[in-house]
Amino acid sequence: MTAIDPETRIPDPIELDRLEEERLRAAAGLAPLHAEGGEYAGFDTVGIPERPPQTERERDVYSLDEGEMLVNMGPQHPSTHGVMRIVVKVRGEIVVDVDPVLGYLHRGIEKLCENATYTTVLTYVDPMDYLSTMHNEHAPAIAFEKLYGVKAPPRAEYIRALVVELNRVFSHGLMMGFLALDIGGLTPILYSFINRDEIVDMLSAISGQRMLFNFFRVGGVNWDTNDEFLSRLGTWRGNVLRNIEMNERMITENEIFRARTVNMGRLSGDDAISLGVSGPNLRASGVPFDIRKAHPYSIYRELEFDVITQEGGDSYSRYLQRIAEIKQSIHLIDQIIDKMPHGPVQAQVPGIIRPKPGRAYGAVESPRGLYSVYAISDGGPNPYRFRMRDPSFISLQAIPKLMPGRLVADTMAVMASFDPVMGGVDK
Amino acid sequence: MADVRRPWAAADPLGRRRPLSAPAAAGALIRHLTERLGSDIRDLWTDEDTVEVQIDGARNVDVLTRLRDEEEFAFWFLADAAAVDYGPGERFEVVYHLYSSRHPAWLRVRAHVDRQDAHLPTITTLWEGAMFHEREMYDMMGIVFDGNRDLRRIYMSPDYRSFPQRKDFVLPDDAADSPAAGVSPLERPETWDLGRFRDALTVSSAPTYPPTDLPVEDGETAADTSRPR
Amino acid sequence: MDWELILGIGRFLLATTLLLLLTVPTAFIIIQMEMKIIAQLALRYGPNRIGFKGMFQSTIHGFKVLAKEDAVPDQADRGTFTLAPWMVYMAAAMSMLVIPFAPGAVAADFNIGIVYFFAVLGLSVVGLLVAGWASYNKYSLLGGLRAAAQMVSYEIPLTLSIVGAVVLAGTLSFTELIQWQLEHGWLLVWQPVGLGIFYISSLAEINRTPFDMVEADSELVAGPFTEYSGMRFGFFFFAEYVALFIMSGILISLFFGGWLAPWPFPAQLGGFAGTLYGIFWFFLKTYIFVAIAVWMRGTLPRVRVDQLMGMAWKVLLPLALVNLFVTAIAVVVFDL
Repeated sequence: MTAIDPETRIPDPIELDRLEEERLRAAAGLAPLHAEGGEYAGFDTVGIPERPPQTERERDVYSLDEGEMLVNMGPQHPSTHGVMRIVVKVRGEIVVDVDPVLGYLHRGIEKLCENATYTTVLTYVDPMDYLSTMHNEHAPAIAFEKLYGVKAPPRAEYIRALVVELNRVFSHGLMMGFLALDIGGLTPILYSFINRDEIVDMLSAISGQRMLFNFFRVGGVNWDTNDEFLSRLGTWRGNVLRNIEMNERMITENEIFRARTVNMGRLSGDDAISLGVSGPNLRASGVPFDIRKAHPYSIYRELEFDVITQEGGDSYSRYLQRIAEIKQSIHLIDQIIDKMPHGPVQAQVPGIIRPKPGRAYGAVESPRGLYSVYAISDGGPNPYRFRMRDPSFISLQAIPKLMPGRLVADTMAVMASFDPVMGGVDK
Repeated sequence: MADVRRPWAAADPLGRRRPLSAPAAAGALIRHLTERLGSDIRDLWTDEDTVEVQIDGARNVDVLTRLRDEEEFAFWFLADAAAVDYGPGERFEVVYHLYSSRHPAWLRVRAHVDRQDAHLPTITTLWEGAMFHEREMYDMMGIVFDGNRDLRRIYMSPDYRSFPQRKDFVLPDDAADSPAAGVSPLERPETWDLGRFRDALTVSSAPTYPPTDLPVEDGETAADTSRPR
Repeated sequence: MDWELILGIGRFLLATTLLLLLTVPTAFIIIQMEMKIIAQLALRYGPNRIGFKGMFQSTIHGFKVLAKEDAVPDQADRGTFTLAPWMVYMAAAMSMLVIPFAPGAVAADFNIGIVYFFAVLGLSVVGLLVAGWASYNKYSLLGGLRAAAQMVSYEIPLTLSIVGAVVLAGTLSFTELIQWQLEHGWLLVWQPVGLGIFYISSLAEINRTPFDMVEADSELVAGPFTEYSGMRFGFFFFAEYVALFIMSGILISLFFGGWLAPWPFPAQLGGFAGTLYGIFWFFLKTYIFVAIAVWMRGTLPRVRVDQLMGMAWKVLLPLALVNLFVTAIAVVVFDL
């Protein structure tokens, strides 16, 4: 029996294939495929136009070492929360790097608003973060009121806070459903939509719309509360705590759900601040930063509430944080209903207004984080510059930071726990 | 940020103290700004809940580092980074909004940027989350951030050649005519060096504007679009 | 002329034909159950227009699947692409041969029926792997590999969990096992641990929630089936539900008495009436377990791939081995 030299390295099949391929390419006169180190893959795999990498990071992401593969999740995908493309570099099941590609829903709202009057702008911002429409309108309303120099009457402020908190309740409820859906449970999403439906019926009674409520005006709100709204509000308030508890009990104690979310996507407080993450995602990492307390706007000075935080910073904490915030919002709604004064709901503001030149910044706490508007007025009927800072856009940066080392299946689960809405991401 | 101990914890408990009204509230902040950053500040303005300073663009990293790290400022949260275009011939501005739990006012830092040479140091070393802000500012306005590892377009497609939010942006987008033509050579495909890939792949078959594949008559170049075809 | 042989062959052919014909309405019924039960769980109606209360919806789905365009990806390996659904479906159909529907109503009453069953069931792994690879699609590849890993891992606890039952009954034939259960009581009292392991492993084996990573439609669109359309997809689709039926059938045959009626009904009757009686009880019990599996699909989220594999190798396999040892010792000690 011949002795096999122990120094001989028997190539494994994948390498034999590669050698064969190199040999055939050389025989055909083509350049060899595999360069030293990582092979830049931007030329054939994921539909990017053939071009060299534009930046160092792009070269890093799109260069494949042995055994790595680029998988394209989206833009048509059941669970990217809208149209987003995530290019995931995987080695087998393990994610090595993530590159989100945005812009599929970009509508140029900022530029569009430069050609619209201040009142029209409030209708343009609705479909940004379409699940938290009231917050989308609240921030520009605050900024424009600073520019105009008007204050909304107290009843209007209370109604604003009421609808904003209602919006927060159903937005957080939807996150619960989306998170369960992305992890595989098919039913909680429908329960979330039932909760949302009750609130949306209520809000449609007061604003006439079911999703893109065109409710805020500069100087107040459009309509006062009416009988139908109040009756639905009463019915809803009677049932909501029981419904929320019933729905979340199915998920919160579920072994499989916990195994999929506990210790997944752990974001430390320092990292979260550095990344600009805000809102429930930041508070779930332990940082007690809530704009309603930090720079109170509207009537939040008069309401009594604490800043809730969670330890941990993992997906489960973000989920629990939102459930806790739902209950906090219900508590706030109770106080608002208690304290609401009578009075007009809109300040006297001329039709076409030309505010004095100036700059204003208005920031609100939306269900996804800090949502702010920076408006510059040049004295004309249209804003000179209208800038919106959307929280989902910035929170998305946590994904490339958290995902490397985890499995592909967790990409969607962790992203769902951050609750991004692509309308806001892409403006 | 390793040695900056959690400033939000060290500050006063949030919300328990009613913020003082009007300029007195931001007085401490204004005093600190003028004392410590006086040389960098070109202008200062204050409002009910905002203090605004204007600085030179090249100093943005130094100023923001001091604002973030020094105890008296402690602006640990970057709320917003936006770009403003003041018109053709005027400057750009990059506007940062900062939050500190120590001061009851937002701080707005306006950094002046020259229009002809729109460069600014990147602040991604201070806040990682500024990456997407800077990418968006580059995409929409064409301001290049030196030192940013990933300065590519974020909303528009990667080979888009113009900057939509500039005041002199023209539609339809035509890089040859638009005064705000692609800054990076990688936004001009004719400069790409495809190298070893040139023979293996076909060039992109996306339509170009002006169309380069139509028959050209005498005395006319392909770029001449006055004749309907 | 060996009439016995010819009759035997004829009977076998008839039985096989009946079984193959049975798979399609079974799949339809189970799909209909799934649509309606999950809808009710989600406080929806489910299909309620076609037929009385929507009963014919899944039949129409079946015809729709026939009518769709049969698209094969350009760079896919056409031969294997076509072969994959056949393999999966044949695995399901062949394993139906040994299911004990009723006394005397077994298509092929092998005396090693149990071994045959689990051997043939493993063919579906090959089908899924081939589907994933031949599609020339990264999603499919990932899905196919996940499927192979999952199904191969869970076959071991699956087969080990019933060895305890086999040792107790002393036979590898389904019909004799059910006879043993007639005499000694249902095996679920004798082998509760085996039942638990078998149930979990069977769900994982047929890729049902909570183990449906293979077709995790919120991550990989449809896993190895992404590129399949029309009747090819129909094969996969039906094979999955037929496999669910088969697994439930085997589960009740092994642990819940098969065709035997529970107390206080007479366990078994004789003659032709006895066959019908057995078929009735068999189908009732099978559909109860199918309904439970459908219920679980509507309720539970998905277990992640590595947690799934971890559970198979680190929990179920040792447990199955322990169960086997305890059973064997008990048999020796108590002279069973």
